[in-house]
Amino acid sequence: MNNLEKYNEIFANVFGAQPDQLGANYCKENVSEWDSVHQLNIISEMEDAFDLMLDPEDIVACTSYEAGKDILRRNGVEI
Amino acid sequence: MARWEIKNVRFAGVSACVPKQIVKTADYDIFTQEEADTFDKTVGICERRIAPDDICASDLCQAAAERLLEELGWEKDTVDALIFESVTGDYRTPPTACLLQDRMGLSADCFCLDIPMGCCGCMYALVVGGNLLTTGNVHRALLLVGDTALRMGSMKDKSRVPLFGDAGTAIALEFDTEAEPIVIDFHTDGAGYTALHTPHGGFRHPFTAESLVYEDFGHGIVRAPMHTMIDGMSVFAFAISKPPRSVSQFMTDYQLDKDTDIDYFLIHQANKLIVDRVVKKLKLPLEKVPYNLEEFGNLGGASIPSLMVTRIRERLQGGEPTRLLCSSFGLGLSWGTMLLNLKNVTIPELVEI
Repeated sequence: MNNLEKYNEIFANVFGAQPDQLGANYCKENVSEWDSVHQLNIISEMEDAFDLMLDPEDIVACTSYEAGKDILRRNGVEI
Repeated sequence: MARWEIKNVRFAGVSACVPKQIVKTADYDIFTQEEADTFDKTVGICERRIAPDDICASDLCQAAAERLLEELGWEKDTVDALIFESVTGDYRTPPTACLLQDRMGLSADCFCLDIPMGCCGCMYALVVGGNLLTTGNVHRALLLVGDTALRMGSMKDKSRVPLFGDAGTAIALEFDTEAEPIVIDFHTDGAGYTALHTPHGGFRHPFTAESLVYEDFGHGIVRAPMHTMIDGMSVFAFAISKPPRSVSQFMTDYQLDKDTDIDYFLIHQANKLIVDRVVKKLKLPLEKVPYNLEEFGNLGGASIPSLMVTRIRERLQGGEPTRLLCSSFGLGLSWGTMLLNLKNVTIPELVEI
């Protein structure tokens, strides 16, 4: 499984999202279930899947599918 | 670096007092049964003890302290220092510790001090109390740590109301040259202060008519500027990142192995999501991490002493040395890590009033 597949699986686990749903519009504003608990779950799965310890700023900024990718890149994950 | 190795101070006893009234999440009229069930399942706080309006944190602490003094057999005039750690003191002035000196019948020669530091309160009180005793200039100190935090906020704020319980705790410290050191490590990030904040009522924004005006922030959050607010996402982000890193660094610095050198990890009982995440990040053995948030909620600074009383009392009372690694985080933002080596600790049964 490559990094993108691992990342997409996080959204499948947290929201039940299919890969074709994921893109620029998949964000807190457009996904009604995306509350602080779900955001924490995304972060937790990202940290576990990519063996990271994210900074508070990254955790707060993880409000969209694309933002999550940027956070991974900033933390040295190629995606 | 703010790190202390406090020598010559024995952790002689700890006690806790809670109100008798048990409030379940569904008892709050702002929640439907379904919402309450979801909250209980995800946040993990199913019930909490809530004090009636005429009981303050100082009353709960006093009841805990009186019982502890009785079981320790300490005469009141032997208490040289009294520290009251709370953000819900009796009055804005004078310091509640002074009132407690009188109400408890302690000596007029007793040094009294208030510390308002929130969820790290137990550690702040131990830093100050421990350092007062370490030279032997004073011999006995009582640290009273407690809050009635629910009443600081809006009862229409779903993000805050169900999190907190009321409690008062007391810790007895004694000068003892044979005592194992108490090690405490502290950090502060004041830039994050608005994450846990009471906007009005201090001297930056004094209490005015505007302080009473409620605003609907959506998501079930309705509050006025006089109420304490929580920025949930910022608190989550802080709590699951900085404290575990500090615990990890602390264990590295002191060459502590989580499997062989520590008997229990006492994590501030903020909520289950946060505690579970801290436990997972640090890869702590679950059997060494007691929880009591399901029964008492977030007790602020009293959280860690309440774990000692309600979850590991028998072990701490015994003569077998018990090593505790504690992690607290909260207001400020502040966070700390503490190593305690305890044995033969006097711990009365949980007091209810």
